[in-house]
Amino acid sequence: MKGAKSLGLAIARPRVDPARAVMLAIAAAACLCVLVLLAAILWLSFTDGTPGDPNLGYTVGHYVEVFADRFTWRVLGNTVVFLAVTLAVAFAIALPIAWLVERTDFPGKPVVFTLMTVALLIPGFAVALGWLFLLHPRIGLVNQAVMALFGLEHAPFNISTVFGMGMVEGLSLTPITFIMISVALRSMDPALEEAAAMSGAKPRQAVWRITLRLLWPALLAAAIYVAAICFAAFDVPAVLGLTNRIFTFSTYVFRSLTPTEGAPDYGGVATLSVIMLAIAALMSVSYRAVQRQAPRYAVVTGKAYRPRLSPLGRAKGPALAFVTAFFLVSQALPLLMLGWAAGLPFLQAPSARAVAALSLDNFRSIPTDLLLRIIGNTAILMVAVPTLTMVASLAVSWVVLRAKPRGAALVDFLAFLPVTVPPIVFSVAALLLALFVLNAAVPLYGTIWLLVIVYVIARLSYGTRMTNTALIQIHRELEEAAQMSGAASFGVLRAVILPLLAPTILYAWIWIALLSYRELTLPVVLATGSNLPFSMLVWSYVQSSSYGRASAAALIMLALMVPVLLLYWLAARRAGFLTPRVAR
Amino acid sequence: MIRIRDLALTYPDANVPAVRGVSLEIAEGAFYTLLGPSGCGKTTTLRCVAGLERPDAGEITIGDETVFSATGGVFVPPHERNIGMVFQSYAIWPHMTVFENIAFPLRYRRPKPSRSEARDRVMAALALVRLDKLAGRPAPNLSGGQQQRLALARALVAEPRVLLLDEPLSNLDAKLREDMRVELRELVRRLRVTTLFVTHEQIEALTMSDVIAVMKDGAIVQEGAPAAIYGQPAESFVADFIGRTNLLSGQVMTPAVSTDGGLGSVATPVGLLHCRLDASRRVGDIVTLAIRPEHIALSLGAADVSDPNVVAGEVANVAYLGNLIECTVAVGSHALRVQLHPSAPVAPGAKVRLALPIEYCLAMRQ
Repeated sequence: MKGAKSLGLAIARPRVDPARAVMLAIAAAACLCVLVLLAAILWLSFTDGTPGDPNLGYTVGHYVEVFADRFTWRVLGNTVVFLAVTLAVAFAIALPIAWLVERTDFPGKPVVFTLMTVALLIPGFAVALGWLFLLHPRIGLVNQAVMALFGLEHAPFNISTVFGMGMVEGLSLTPITFIMISVALRSMDPALEEAAAMSGAKPRQAVWRITLRLLWPALLAAAIYVAAICFAAFDVPAVLGLTNRIFTFSTYVFRSLTPTEGAPDYGGVATLSVIMLAIAALMSVSYRAVQRQAPRYAVVTGKAYRPRLSPLGRAKGPALAFVTAFFLVSQALPLLMLGWAAGLPFLQAPSARAVAALSLDNFRSIPTDLLLRIIGNTAILMVAVPTLTMVASLAVSWVVLRAKPRGAALVDFLAFLPVTVPPIVFSVAALLLALFVLNAAVPLYGTIWLLVIVYVIARLSYGTRMTNTALIQIHRELEEAAQMSGAASFGVLRAVILPLLAPTILYAWIWIALLSYRELTLPVVLATGSNLPFSMLVWSYVQSSSYGRASAAALIMLALMVPVLLLYWLAARRAGFLTPRVAR
Repeated sequence: MIRIRDLALTYPDANVPAVRGVSLEIAEGAFYTLLGPSGCGKTTTLRCVAGLERPDAGEITIGDETVFSATGGVFVPPHERNIGMVFQSYAIWPHMTVFENIAFPLRYRRPKPSRSEARDRVMAALALVRLDKLAGRPAPNLSGGQQQRLALARALVAEPRVLLLDEPLSNLDAKLREDMRVELRELVRRLRVTTLFVTHEQIEALTMSDVIAVMKDGAIVQEGAPAAIYGQPAESFVADFIGRTNLLSGQVMTPAVSTDGGLGSVATPVGLLHCRLDASRRVGDIVTLAIRPEHIALSLGAADVSDPNVVAGEVANVAYLGNLIECTVAVGSHALRVQLHPSAPVAPGAKVRLALPIEYCLAMRQ
C-alpha cells in the first residue's frame, strides 16, 4: 500500500526529461574540465614548493621572478619579431592569392582551394624539418651549395633564427590567412563596388577607395586571429629554434617544463603559462572587439554574392606563376627534402654518389612493434577525440540554444574559452593536474585517455562553433512538428536534429580527426613511452638529431593521412563547404 | 472541445505579458479563429494549447483532459497531447520523403498501427490532399502549395482530437492563398475536426470561421460569428482591424432610449450624426463613430445639409482598384473614404454630397 502511494506521488511530480538530463550532464562535464584545467594552472602559479606537498605555501614570488628575469623579456622580444615576420609573410602572399581567386578570372580556383586545405593540414614540423635541410647553417644544402660556389667561409642563410622561424611559420599560416580573407571578400556586396564604378571611379580607384576600406576590419580581425595562432604555435619554432636556444614564448614554456638539466620548477612553468594565457586572452578580446565592428561595414553578411570577376588578361601568366611558386616553395620543396633525406644515411647534396647511397634503410630502422603501437595510439585518438568532441559540442549547443537553463550563457562562454588557450598551456595544465592532483584518485598520467581528454577540450570551441551554427539554421518548427507528432525529446533529437546536423557533424568529425592526427603541441608535454602518437615519433627522432629517420617517419605519417584527406574532401562536398570552416 | 481559462504568459525576456487572461471555449467540430495584428498574443495562445509554451497561469482542457493547470501543477508535454498542427513555415522535414513525413506521427501512435495499416493511412492522408502521386518524392522538391498540403496531411494522419493552424496560408502567394483557403476549409469541414486557427488576415478569418475572436495586447476584445464581428464591432479597434472603416471621434448629444442598439446622435467633426448607440451611453460621453466605406452613398452636386446624416464635401483623390473605385472625400478638415462602382463618374475636385445611413453608423467605445 505504502509503495503504491509513493508511486502515485512520483507520477504527480514534474517529470524529468531524460534527454535534457543527459545533455545537461555532458555539457556540464565538458565545461567542468575546461574550468578545472584553467583553475589548476592559475592555482599552481601561486604555490610554493612541489605541488602535492602537504606544506604547500602560497606566494607571488614566481611572478616577481619571471618578470625580473631578463631572459623572459628577450623571449617576449623574440616572440614579437616572430609574430611580425609571420604576419608580413602570410599577408603578403595570402592577400594577392585571395584577390586572384575571389575577384578575377584566375583559372583552376578549386585546385587552389584544395591545395590550400591540404597545406593547412600538413604538419608544421614536417615542413620545418624540410627547411632545416635546406637552410640550416651547417647541414643545409642551399648553404653548402652557395658556400661551395662562392668559396664562402660562413653559411649565408640561417633558418634557426627568429626571422627564419617567422618566414617558415608565415608560409605555413598563409593557407588560413588566405581562407579568412577570401571569405571576407566573398561576403562583401559587389554592388558597393559597382556603385563606385557608376559614380565614375576607375576600377583601381574603386578598389582603393571602397573595397579595401570595407575590407579593413575583416583584414584586421584576420591579422589578430593569425597572430593568436602564431603566438601559440609550437612546432615550427621548436624544430627550428630549440637546439639553438632561440625561444618563442611557447617553446620557452616547454623548455622550462623539460629543462636540459636539473628539475623543472613547476610553479614557474605555471606562471609562464598564466602569462601566456593572459596575452592570448588579450588577443582574443581584441579579435572579438574588431569583429564586432565588422558588421557595420557590411562585411560578413552570410549572403552569397556573385561578384563581377575582372579579367586578368596578360597578367594571367605571372599570376599563375606566383601561385604555383607559393605552393612549390612552401610545401613541395620542403617535403621533397624530406624524401631526399629519408633515403640517405646522412644528408648530402644531390650527386651520383648520393643517388647510389639511396635506400630504404631509414624506413626499415623504425622498429615495427613501436610503429604498430604508435599507429594504434593514433587510431584511438583519431576516433575517440572527434567522437567525444562532437558529442560534447552537440550537448553544449543543444543546452545553449534549445534547453536554455539558467547559466546557459556560462556554458557557452566556457565552451568557447579553449579557443583562447594556447595548446601548450592546456598540456602544461593537464600534466600538472594529472601528476599532482588527480594521480592518486584517477591514474590518468601515461595513458592515452589523458591525451584524449585534453585533445577534446582543446577542440571543444571549434566543435561547438560548428554545431551552434548548424543548429541555429534548423528552424525551431521542424522540431516542434516532431513534438506535435508525438516524439519526446530523444525522439526529436534522433529523428530531426541528428539527421539534419549529420553533414556538419561528419565534416567537423573528420576535420578534428585530421587535426588530432597532426597534433604535436599537446602530446609533446603529455605523452610518455606508452601513449605516444605518430607526431611524437617524428619529434623524438628530431630531438635525437636522427634526421633521416625523422624524415622517414614524417613521410609514413603523411602517406597514412591521404585516405583520411579523401574522406574529408567527400564530407566537405556533402556539407557544401568549399572552404574549410576554420574561423571562430 | 477546447477550453481555456484565464490564460496568462509573460516571456522571460519581455516586460509586457504576451497573453493576459484569455478565456475561450471551442465547441466540438467548430472552426475557431484567433484574429489580430502581430504581437497580439494569438500565436502564443495557440502554442500554449499545443504545449510548446508553458503558461504562467490558467487552465487548458482538451476534450475532458486537463492538459495544463497552473494551480493543479499539470503540464502534459506536447508529444502526449494528441494534437495535429500546421506550422507557419510548414516545418516539412527536408531529410525525409513526402511519405516519410506523413508516416512520422504514426510511429508514436498507441497502439502502433501495423506496417500495412500505416501505409494505408498515409496513402489515405495523401489522397485527401491530392499528393498521392508524389509519395516517394523528397520533401524539399515540392512547391509552396504542395508543402502546405503535406503539412496538413501530416497534422491529420494520426486523427488528432484537435487541429491547430498557425498562419498556414501566410507564406503562399495571393492567388494560391485564395485557393488553399477554400480547400482547407472544405477539408476541415468534411472531417469535422475541431480547429483553432490563427491569422492576421481578416479575409481568412471572415471566410473560414464559425467563430472569430479578435485579440489585442494579449486579450480577446470581441468574440462572435464573422457577420457579427464585421457588422457590430464592439470597439474602434475591431472596426478598424476588420475591413476598412471611417472612424470619427465624437460626443454623445442624445442618448438612445431602447436597450439594444437604439438610435441616438453624436456630434462629430463632420457634423451631428444620428447613429446606433448603446443605451448605457450618457450625454457627453466620448465615443467613436464608425461607418464602412461601402455604406456611404455619394451623389454629385451641392448638398442640402439640412437633411439628417448628409454631409457636403469635395473629392480629394480617386483610386481605381479594378472592381471598385475608392475615393477620399474631404469634409471640412476631415477625410472620409468612400467605395463606389467602377463606372461612377467622379473626379478630384468635384463637389459631392455623402449620405451616411443611420443603420450603418455605429457608435462604440474608443
